[in-house]
Amino acid sequence: MEGLDSSNPLTGDFLVLLKRHQLISNTPSIPGSHLEFKETSATTILGFKFAGGVLVAGDRRATAGNVVMYDRADKVLEIDRHSVMAIAGSPATAWEMARILEHSFQYYRRTQLQEMSVEGKVRALSKLLRDNLGMVIQGVGVVVPLFATYEKKSSEPAKLFFYDAMGAQFEATDFASSGSGASAVRSVLYYENSWGLQPLRERSREEAILLALKALDTAAEADTATGGVDRHGKIFPIVKIVSESGIETVADNKLSELFQTQVA
Amino acid sequence: MIDEPYRWVEAISNRREYIENELASGSPTIGLSFNEGILLLTFGRDRRKIFEIYDRIAIGGIGHPGAIELASTEGFTRSAADVSLRRMVTYSFSPALKQAFEQIYGPPYLARILFAEVGSTRDEDLFVRLDYDGSMHASAMNVGKRRESFGAIAGTRKGLEKTEIFLRTANFSDLRGALRIAIHAWGLGLYFADQDHEDIPEDSALNEFVKSRLEYYTVEAVLLERRAAELRGAYVEVPESDLEAVLSGFR
Repeated sequence: MEGLDSSNPLTGDFLVLLKRHQLISNTPSIPGSHLEFKETSATTILGFKFAGGVLVAGDRRATAGNVVMYDRADKVLEIDRHSVMAIAGSPATAWEMARILEHSFQYYRRTQLQEMSVEGKVRALSKLLRDNLGMVIQGVGVVVPLFATYEKKSSEPAKLFFYDAMGAQFEATDFASSGSGASAVRSVLYYENSWGLQPLRERSREEAILLALKALDTAAEADTATGGVDRHGKIFPIVKIVSESGIETVADNKLSELFQTQVA
Repeated sequence: MIDEPYRWVEAISNRREYIENELASGSPTIGLSFNEGILLLTFGRDRRKIFEIYDRIAIGGIGHPGAIELASTEGFTRSAADVSLRRMVTYSFSPALKQAFEQIYGPPYLARILFAEVGSTRDEDLFVRLDYDGSMHASAMNVGKRRESFGAIAGTRKGLEKTEIFLRTANFSDLRGALRIAIHAWGLGLYFADQDHEDIPEDSALNEFVKSRLEYYTVEAVLLERRAAELRGAYVEVPESDLEAVLSGFR
């Protein structure tokens, strides 16, 4: 039962613990190296604020070059009771980042006896992206995530952040998207927010889910790496809602019903 | 000293006596298993005594961040499902305590710890009591053994025995009922820390005793929620409203 290392200034830091036990390694970057394999990657993800919180959605396709690797990938990952991370880019790296993040927040809470602040959580993801820079420069393992959370005490409790591959963090006022279909989704959300029937923030739960389905369908129309809705396999996007009561995953039959009646 | 076996035995027994004396006035910790999950309750004076260890596991008594480190690295490298109380206690904590206790040149742990792990059904709930010398008592680790749906630690052996006798026949169905029983059991454990107390007191006398103690202690109660066990974190503090409702009956 060894205690925490007293010389360690960052108690409660799970990454420090992993490094001490050599459970993760820092991959050095080798400039000029070039790898000749097709990396699996995953796209498109989006998030926006609506009347009931933040909605985060992602399609299900993972591709390697022009091969569809997997059509049931889950790119919207629950990190804790009020935080969701959505991933675009390399699933191998992204899922590992999500796992580290999840354990980091819990480890902090358990050892420090308080919840990590939202700023701390957002920074933690930023640090993981920055640590991954060596890999990114070699052309593998790039991840460009979204992070959504709900901070009860804040005057504006629904929070949405997006990142670049180097770890810069940006807070979205209304919406954010990432992945190869991001530009199409961004256009749709911008248009709807500015000239739609209502700004996104005033939309109801049902309207928000519907918009997410339409935006993903638009992305899938032009981007082969985005899955959209598979009507034969009954594969629907993952849609999660982050609100005061926690995280809700919208059920497939609800998505199916909305899709049949108002999208298809 | 090691060369002379009887000196070693003597040193160990002195050490045991010293630790038992130190622990005797300690505040008991009670764990109860019921449909909603597991309630862990104790009263403390000035520091926290119940800690979250991992998704389904909590500890009452004298906590240690080492336990959290172990569980977290295990859960990360394998899976949260591989972090089991049974494994951690048997192969990590118990040997560590035993070794510290028997190395007479080093300091022992002044610890008596109650671990609780909530399962998906009541049958899978587990309590383990771990002592300063590494000895452990589990509510259910063997097939065929009669299961206990509670766990308890107390400062004295007598306090623990009387508490366990009471808990074996205790009936309750919801959280508030469990709180009432746990507070009663805590009172019993502390009541028998007094050498002069021999017989189980009347309910009214015990209530008076608890009432007099509540002036010095503050309550700490945690619920390991069964339904949340799969959602990464069953550990929640018992709502203030429930605690107040039950405690007001003792004031």
